[in-house]
Amino acid sequence: MGILLFISVLLIAACGLIYELIAGTLASYLLGDSVLQFSTIIGCYLFAMGIGSALSRYLSRGLAYRFVWIELMLGLIGGFSSALLFLAFAYSQGFQIILYAVVMVIGMLVGLEIPILMRIVRERYQFRDVVAHILTFDYLGALGASLLFPVLLVPHLGLVRSAMLFGLVNVAVALWSTFLFAKQLPSVRGLRVLCALVMCALALGLAQARRITTAAEDNIYADEIIFARDTRYQHIVLTRFKDDIRLFLNSHLQFSSRDEYRYHEALIHPGLAAVPAPRRVLVLGGGDGLAVREILRYPQVESVTLVDLDPEMTRLFATHPMLTRLNQQSFQSPKVRIINADAFPWVDSNADSFDFIVIDFPDPTNYSLGKLYTTAFYRAAARHLSAQGLMVVQSTSPMFSRDSYWCIVETLKRAGLKTCPYHVYVPSFGEWGFVIASGHEYVPPTSVPAGLRFVSLDGLPSMFQFPPDMSPMSMPPNRLNDQVLVRAYDQDWKDISH
Amino acid sequence: MRVSRRKFLQAGSAALVGLSVKGDRPITGSFVNDSFQLGHQLRDRSTFPEVRKLEKHSVVIVGGGIAGLSAAWRLHKRGFTDFIVLEMNDQPGGNSRWGQNEITAFPWAAHYVPVPGPKAAYVRELFEELGVLRNGEWDERYLCFAPQERLFLYGRWQQGIEPAIGLADRDREQFRRFEELIHKFRDSGGFTIPMERGLSPKQADLDRLPFSQWLRAQGMDSTILNWYLNYCCRDDYGALASDTSAWAGLHYFASREPEEKGPLTWPEGNGWIVKRLLERLGPLVRSGRIVHRIEPRKNDLSVFCGDTEHKTRFVIFAAPTFLAPYIVEGMTRLQEFEYSPWLTANLTLDRMPASCGGDSTWDNVVMNSPTLGYVDAMHQTLQSRVERTVWTFYWALADGAPAENRRRLLEKDWSYWKEAILHDLERVHPDIRQCVSRIDLMRLGHAMARPKPGAIFSPERRDLAGRNGRFLFANSDLSGFSIFEEAQYRGVRAAEKVLATLGGKS
Repeated sequence: MGILLFISVLLIAACGLIYELIAGTLASYLLGDSVLQFSTIIGCYLFAMGIGSALSRYLSRGLAYRFVWIELMLGLIGGFSSALLFLAFAYSQGFQIILYAVVMVIGMLVGLEIPILMRIVRERYQFRDVVAHILTFDYLGALGASLLFPVLLVPHLGLVRSAMLFGLVNVAVALWSTFLFAKQLPSVRGLRVLCALVMCALALGLAQARRITTAAEDNIYADEIIFARDTRYQHIVLTRFKDDIRLFLNSHLQFSSRDEYRYHEALIHPGLAAVPAPRRVLVLGGGDGLAVREILRYPQVESVTLVDLDPEMTRLFATHPMLTRLNQQSFQSPKVRIINADAFPWVDSNADSFDFIVIDFPDPTNYSLGKLYTTAFYRAAARHLSAQGLMVVQSTSPMFSRDSYWCIVETLKRAGLKTCPYHVYVPSFGEWGFVIASGHEYVPPTSVPAGLRFVSLDGLPSMFQFPPDMSPMSMPPNRLNDQVLVRAYDQDWKDISH
Repeated sequence: MRVSRRKFLQAGSAALVGLSVKGDRPITGSFVNDSFQLGHQLRDRSTFPEVRKLEKHSVVIVGGGIAGLSAAWRLHKRGFTDFIVLEMNDQPGGNSRWGQNEITAFPWAAHYVPVPGPKAAYVRELFEELGVLRNGEWDERYLCFAPQERLFLYGRWQQGIEPAIGLADRDREQFRRFEELIHKFRDSGGFTIPMERGLSPKQADLDRLPFSQWLRAQGMDSTILNWYLNYCCRDDYGALASDTSAWAGLHYFASREPEEKGPLTWPEGNGWIVKRLLERLGPLVRSGRIVHRIEPRKNDLSVFCGDTEHKTRFVIFAAPTFLAPYIVEGMTRLQEFEYSPWLTANLTLDRMPASCGGDSTWDNVVMNSPTLGYVDAMHQTLQSRVERTVWTFYWALADGAPAENRRRLLEKDWSYWKEAILHDLERVHPDIRQCVSRIDLMRLGHAMARPKPGAIFSPERRDLAGRNGRFLFANSDLSGFSIFEEAQYRGVRAAEKVLATLGGKS
């Protein structure tokens, strides 16, 4: 019996330490600042163990019975502690209160274990042997746990399942104790049934652990991710929260379905409605088909050519039901021709002429994208404009990246174009800027398509007014050999984030 | 399951073999464009074919590099077509030759022209004709795209090649002082491109001194400044600062004041200019024709090439000047003309290597490497996505005697140089071996004229450069160093002299 008893000591010591480590790791993982989390949790845990040891003196009779109960409770609470904490973080406001409460309860129960066990076996051994043996195995168990935890448990099982596995160990010790201390126990059968029930609960938890973590993580990362793919060119992520669909390219927000109509109506209508009899339209970028949706409101438009680099992007927006609802199946229109090509070489080698050109590229965050915002690019694009034609350029925010915005305006001017800057408010982006450019003076439209939710003739004049905090800055043009825009854009965002 | 020790070892070594197969991606390639055999035929006075054919021309241009093609360009532009250009190699262009594969065109040597200043009238005229300069504005497609250059030092990349990080106050002070001195030299008007315009005997003393010695005399002993200036000498002259005349070392900096962020460059380097010139000249340029003898006669000259004797009134000798004594009857060996040997490599990359930070640039230099770094042929693409490319890797064998280095260049085999190049690149791109599929090498024994101390002001150079008459020299080495502008200037000047004589007659 001796060795079996001491193995139990070893196991319960390991369990106790594992719960402590899990609480510490989980807290650092979710709250950050691991030094603070580990110190407070270890301190709190040891303090609770002290309370447990102090309380042990008030237990006088039925020690074996109490020991089995303590093991059962530890198995249940410790085993589910990790899952409970994950869910608490995801669904409640008081994560820290729950965290420290769980640590206190587990600490107190662990603090009770060893004193009670010592008292149970004191009749069988000399006192000095009891202390020596029990504490030896206690520390050995702690050593084993502290090695197992980082090497095997965290990488292979994860926090939720590790806790449940050691919960099972606690319950196993409880069950085993009903045999070890059978003589000292009043009703062995009842206890064994209880053990079996808790074991079943933990086993079930172990099997379902993945669902628990997913449920918790989904909530931690806010919106549900409905699509994620690495294409040759970019990382596409679509999220949904209730009726709000958002597209992220390389983790930059491209649109939110709640207010994208503001962006796309503002991108298209001030320009396109001002072109007399537009027949042929070119869209560069805009693989989401939302600009095309707006263009198709003009029945006189006979053809829309869309040039976007990424075939997976255009395929996604041509086929995904949630997205085709958003762009009203604009890619299915017989008027629309999709070309998957790099925009600059395409513009440079193609000879077609267009009445309206939409230039809707990602912001100039690097020198590769910056090429698409240069005098050379705008000159090449302008060669495709028909006599009455206009082009419109997505031009970053005149509010948050004011230098960049006015740099784009200057670049268009230096490419020999007449420019007309304007801006709108898009809640998910903030103030956003566009520039209409052409070979002639821009004359605002006298009508806009029916059914628009944002652009109206009455509202147009205010778009062209820039309040003092967005008013023109004197900037040099962006050229292939001197990409001032990329540097300005980088600086603008640094200024904001500091 | 029991695994015997033997089985375990077998499995282990199989795994290792698997790894090494994956690690050592096969890299193919060879030496290309070797021309030393042809040069050695001249040197060793091999026997050449008997004369079977006779042709008559007013002008024969020997050498189809930038100097020869520029002479031809000027004659042709003046409506004069009774001339031929004879080029020894199969591909014309000389140091501006280029290559082409399924990914891109790439240079074999000269890969840029600094944005020419107002004094370089012929260069500006050419670029206006080629549409590079329009209404006083440079076409930005031909200006090197941003970001242009970077330097790897202290384990990271910095923008620009002049060291800007990790400088001590003393380094900074010396860089600043060097800059000030350069300003003075620039303002003196003595350092121009073309160099002949500003050359003044007042600066002859500078030419006698090695650049490194001049720097010491100025109290410029900063290791970093000296590394940088040494790099510039290796890059432009293929020589160390201690083997370069101080005049030439200063000319590199004092002759140019860029008005526009440059330089001008193309995927195939200066091969782009050669292509445009060849389009204009057509069959007037004949390649694969080695001129083995030139005999001045009483009223004309005979140029022997293969089995043909070309009788001509004028010869413009645009090939490297050191070859002339081997070809021209009665000409004595030259003493002052020294050349640096170079190795250039073109590396085909099937994927882009991981880079230790920093946007990829056109020119990439590693501090304290014996090589000159590499240039990315896809840098001038308009695409926003690049997946494969070609790097042109430059290595001027500057350290040691040129003759010794020429021998080394010919002795060592392809895999020796391949390994040396990969080893050099691995310091900054640890995964380079997984990216490269092909490395072709070009060996140039006499790649560039070397402006050793005393060369610029030597009577020999000045005599050959100033010649008039029926036999004219035109190679850039007459300026003491090999740059596009000087080659073009010498070629055009020679053509002008011919035209002046012919024009006077007609």
